[in-house]
Amino acid sequence: MSHTVASNRWTGALNIFLLVLAGVVSLTPMAWMVLSSFKASFEVTAYPPTVIFSPTLENYATLWERTPFLHYAFNSMVVTVSSTALGIILGAPAAFVASWTRVTWPAVLTLAARMAPGTLFLLPWYIMFRQFDMIGSYWALILTHAVITMPIVIWVLLPFFDNIPRSIYEAAQVDGCSPLRIFFRIGLPLVAGGLAVSSILAFVFSWNFFLFALVLSNSDTKTLIAASFNFIGEGSTNWGALMAAATLIALPPLVLAIVVQRWLISGLTLGAVKG
Amino acid sequence: MASIHTRGLVKKYGSLTVLHGLDLEIPDHELVVLVGPSGCGKSTLLRVLAGLEAIDEGDLFIGEDRVNDIPAAKRDIAMVFQDYALYPHMTVRQNMAFALEMRGMARGEIKERVEKAAALLAIEPYLDRRPKALSGGQRQRVAMGRAIVRNPRVFLFDEPLSNLDARLRTQVRAEIKTLSQQLRTTMVFVTHDQVEAMTMADRIVVMKSGVIQQVGSPEDVYETPANLFVAGFIGSPSMNFFPASVENDGLKLADGRTVAVGDRVQAAATAHRGKPLILGVRPEHFRVAPDAAGALSVEITLVEPLGSDTLIHFKVGDAEAIARVEPDLRPKVGDVIALAPSPEKAHLFEEKSGALIC
Repeated sequence: MSHTVASNRWTGALNIFLLVLAGVVSLTPMAWMVLSSFKASFEVTAYPPTVIFSPTLENYATLWERTPFLHYAFNSMVVTVSSTALGIILGAPAAFVASWTRVTWPAVLTLAARMAPGTLFLLPWYIMFRQFDMIGSYWALILTHAVITMPIVIWVLLPFFDNIPRSIYEAAQVDGCSPLRIFFRIGLPLVAGGLAVSSILAFVFSWNFFLFALVLSNSDTKTLIAASFNFIGEGSTNWGALMAAATLIALPPLVLAIVVQRWLISGLTLGAVKG
Repeated sequence: MASIHTRGLVKKYGSLTVLHGLDLEIPDHELVVLVGPSGCGKSTLLRVLAGLEAIDEGDLFIGEDRVNDIPAAKRDIAMVFQDYALYPHMTVRQNMAFALEMRGMARGEIKERVEKAAALLAIEPYLDRRPKALSGGQRQRVAMGRAIVRNPRVFLFDEPLSNLDARLRTQVRAEIKTLSQQLRTTMVFVTHDQVEAMTMADRIVVMKSGVIQQVGSPEDVYETPANLFVAGFIGSPSMNFFPASVENDGLKLADGRTVAVGDRVQAAATAHRGKPLILGVRPEHFRVAPDAAGALSVEITLVEPLGSDTLIHFKVGDAEAIARVEPDLRPKVGDVIALAPSPEKAHLFEEKSGALIC
């Protein structure tokens, strides 16, 4: 009995240690980023790094004065929200059909496309969008980002749909539902948790995706993440402004994740484990 | 309300044939029970009737309509599933109203029908609850309510009592039978429990390996089983089977003893002289004989008192057998008792084909 209690205590301590370790590893770069955004230029790259300093909003002022930050933020929002919506519009029915028919190879194919390096698509896409005179348009970015968001939606939703007992679909069939109605009236409401999880993940991935925006946007449609690249020059880099930009860019996904974190975690585990 | 008629119905899964050319007639208003062991194809047949499985060969008629290619949604049938399959995100009221909404029925009529069905099944207090807030028995009623509100041509039940405890099962069984008499709708009920089949059915369809073995009233299949399989499957405990050959004064059993079986069985056996036969006697069709002449003198190996009667186990040769006797007899293990098969109730089967001789 006492052996079990001692063993549990050790396991608990080990768990706490590992959690703290994971927290330190993942939060240190973020803390560094946020602190650096409030440092003066000379302090950002100072070695050893300073922890105690006089905070300044100089970097945020630079960001505001030298770049149309709000415009870029608007672009990011348009591209991210639209590509997330497109990912859900295409991915949710795809996941439903893959689960219903138990034919998952198309889903595997989308995952393979997601896993391939983005540079693989860049040249063909660039040529294709140029052909249609779409370079620099929102649509070029939205469509390419949907390649990121759709597989996420499919793969998050698949286990959620799989967890719905088949007899419920069959009951709906017998009750007079067409497959489309079964999807909207039965399937979708029962995977609402998964829909929330997949939307958030798709939003975060699309918001942070850099490569396609760098090549396929222009000054009117540039997203925040691509615009932040402007602070990295050939001769020198304005690290302070870059950190300020990175802090602001990280805010929306962070706020979103904090607001829905309970739903996010329970949704992810539900979809994966519940039999 | 409609009859169901299948003609040469075949269902295959890849190279595996699950239903082998079934011909079945289910008249209007009847409660028909499909019964058989696991894997006999009874649930597959029900799913084919529902339109949830495609037909590979043959024809299926509901009423006058050939429905082979008509999807489940348009067959106007209702089905109660083994796990009830209630929509978890809807209240009981919404569950019951769903099929009616799908048919575009007016709200007023939906409300009226739902409340009428809820009153019939005594589930009015739960109408605004979600399924997860209900007990197994209440969910079962809601599943039936969902079927009833539709007033369909045919009701299908796929082992709906299997998730209930024994007491509730008996209660719901009686309720379904009462309901079938009130609604006068064709009902097809699947079960592997022969007691359920016997107590509920107007007619029983006994199936084995995708083939119909016998169709008949509960009395028919009990009293005149078509073959060894039906004889062994219907009745609890099962019919006792004794390999036998014909003697002038009775049937000679495997252990060499001769047992008197009466003129009817004796005449049938004599007509099959030279062929290996099986004597079938139900446990309740043994009577305790005053002496061993023409009877079986057996030693009791196990006693199971059931209150209303007592089951005694014994051996004839290598064959285990059971007899049902009066509880007043107070038999004990090790007692030797003389048992004689009832001449009117004993059966004779061909050993090779399993077919009933008499």
